[in-house]
Amino acid sequence: MDVGLLSQYLANGVMLGLMYALVAVGFTLFFGVLDVIKFSHGDVAMVGAFAGFATYGGLQAAGVHNPVIQMLGVVLVSVAAMAILGALIARYLIVPLRGAPALNTLLITLMLGTALRESVRLFFPDGANPKPFPRLLPAGSLEFGQFTLRADSAILLAAGIAVIAAVHLLINRTKLGLAIRAVAQDEETARSMGINFSLIVLVTFALGSGVGAFAGVMNGLYYNEINFGMGLLLGVSGFAAAIVGGLGNIYGAILGGFLFAGLQTIGAVAMPFASAYKDVFAFGAVILIMAIRPTGLIPEKNSERV
Amino acid sequence: MSGFLSIEALVAGYDKADVLTGVSLSAEAGRITCLLGANGAGKTTLVRAILGLTPPRGGSIRLDGRELSGLPTHKIVAAGIACIPEGRRLFPKLTVEENLRLGCYLVPGEALLRRRLEEVYDLFPRLRERRTQLAGTMSGGEQAMVSIGRGLMGQPKILLIDEPSLGLSPLFVKENFNIIRRINEGGTTVLLVEQNVHQTLAIAHYGYVMAQGRVVAAGTPAELTGNDEVRQAYFG
Ligand SMILES: Nc1ncnc2c1ncn2[C@@H]1O[C@H](COP(=O)(O)OP(=O)(O)OP(=O)(O)O)[C@@H](O)[C@H]1O
Ligand SMILES: [Mg+2]
Repeated sequence: MDVGLLSQYLANGVMLGLMYALVAVGFTLFFGVLDVIKFSHGDVAMVGAFAGFATYGGLQAAGVHNPVIQMLGVVLVSVAAMAILGALIARYLIVPLRGAPALNTLLITLMLGTALRESVRLFFPDGANPKPFPRLLPAGSLEFGQFTLRADSAILLAAGIAVIAAVHLLINRTKLGLAIRAVAQDEETARSMGINFSLIVLVTFALGSGVGAFAGVMNGLYYNEINFGMGLLLGVSGFAAAIVGGLGNIYGAILGGFLFAGLQTIGAVAMPFASAYKDVFAFGAVILIMAIRPTGLIPEKNSERV
Repeated sequence: MSGFLSIEALVAGYDKADVLTGVSLSAEAGRITCLLGANGAGKTTLVRAILGLTPPRGGSIRLDGRELSGLPTHKIVAAGIACIPEGRRLFPKLTVEENLRLGCYLVPGEALLRRRLEEVYDLFPRLRERRTQLAGTMSGGEQAMVSIGRGLMGQPKILLIDEPSLGLSPLFVKENFNIIRRINEGGTTVLLVEQNVHQTLAIAHYGYVMAQGRVVAAGTPAELTGNDEVRQAYFG
């Protein structure tokens, strides 16, 4: 295979890895603070992409055509709206279910995901059909010999890495992050340190959902298309990434994201005749990994998380 | 002086069963008040009820006259109560210094926090050496130091200490009692739950004895040592 094609696969794999890692970080955060698996997470990312798309339409209608302002507007509105949605879901669906068995939360969020999907399909104007996501990033490409990198891909990669790094710094270097880690390890003791538990839970869900929305917008910008079902694969892939990583800490989520994307890419390289097989291959490999390492690659010990 | 804790007719428990069935006691400001009692008497439950971790079902808890019962835990802590919990309850995957910082969570300002860290490190030089070690990998005695240090970081009006000497060597137990005395001499009110009756009564100003969820005896250390019920339960 020639270098040019290989570089395409590589760039594509890294891009997917970032998106999965961004989604997986959400799963890990939610599981960390509340021990819950929130299955609607991928669909929240999808709604985020649609919120960004709607913002673009609004800006166009308002006569704002500067692509930089449009880009910033799309990202800010999408992330902020999903942060609020995430906090609302936590407040009204997930926290009230805390005493109930974990399966109930799983079921409720599974249904919420379906509700979000169907709502977009039914109520978003012409929501049943795929939407062309605007190309807001500069065209053109960078050439390194045979290796070409599209400028928009380069920007997306840099932005995705920046978001992951920012989340990492927030969790590990700030007082808020310390509180989130404390709550994840021992809720009661965290409360007796004076930490407002309910507030930290809402903030964590807002954070995870905002990051998920970013992944949704990234997905739209990369494929130049969004549709109401996109959250399903994004969510399942992000969830697989989080589980493979150990569902224990954000390093695991990042590692899992790239691993899962790497598997998909290998699948695509090995079976170029049918792109759908790459998912079969990747999920098959995940099943194999889980059979060998049931607790994931970075297993959590006891209740130590995030 | 502040830090006067007064508890009246407190009822608290888990699920359907009440563990505390009307407990009344008080911890005088600036004093060490101890709470004795056999296993399962409800001492830890009382500490948890004060902190709002096991929300009281009845009665009142006042700190310097202010009603605390019914408030969420973080507000109770903000009112000036800190705790060195039973079993230490460190955050095992956080470093020693992060654990200590959490003890100071409600105190704004990095400068003040650094000063308090230094004070705790002066009290336990070992912790200064181990500041970046994960708390879960410390020895039992070292973990006790972190737990005590964490309780001091917030400079509370009243410190609730639940069985600090559990699992410690006799030498460190003695040191532990000295530290509690020093904390108290610095002006902090102390409510001390302990099983080491002799050493506890040696440093306490006043004491209560609990059995089956109620207070069965109260008095100065001298009175308690002479009390028949206490003698039977403790001194054999
Ligand atoms: N989380 C809980 N759920 C249900 N019952 C509990 C719980 N914690 C304690 N209990 C019960 O409450 C009673 C009092 O327990 P508590 O821990 O307050 O005793 P204690 O005086 O602190 O004992 P010890 O000296 O052994 O620490 C016991 O009968 C115990 O079984
Ligand atoms: Mg106890």
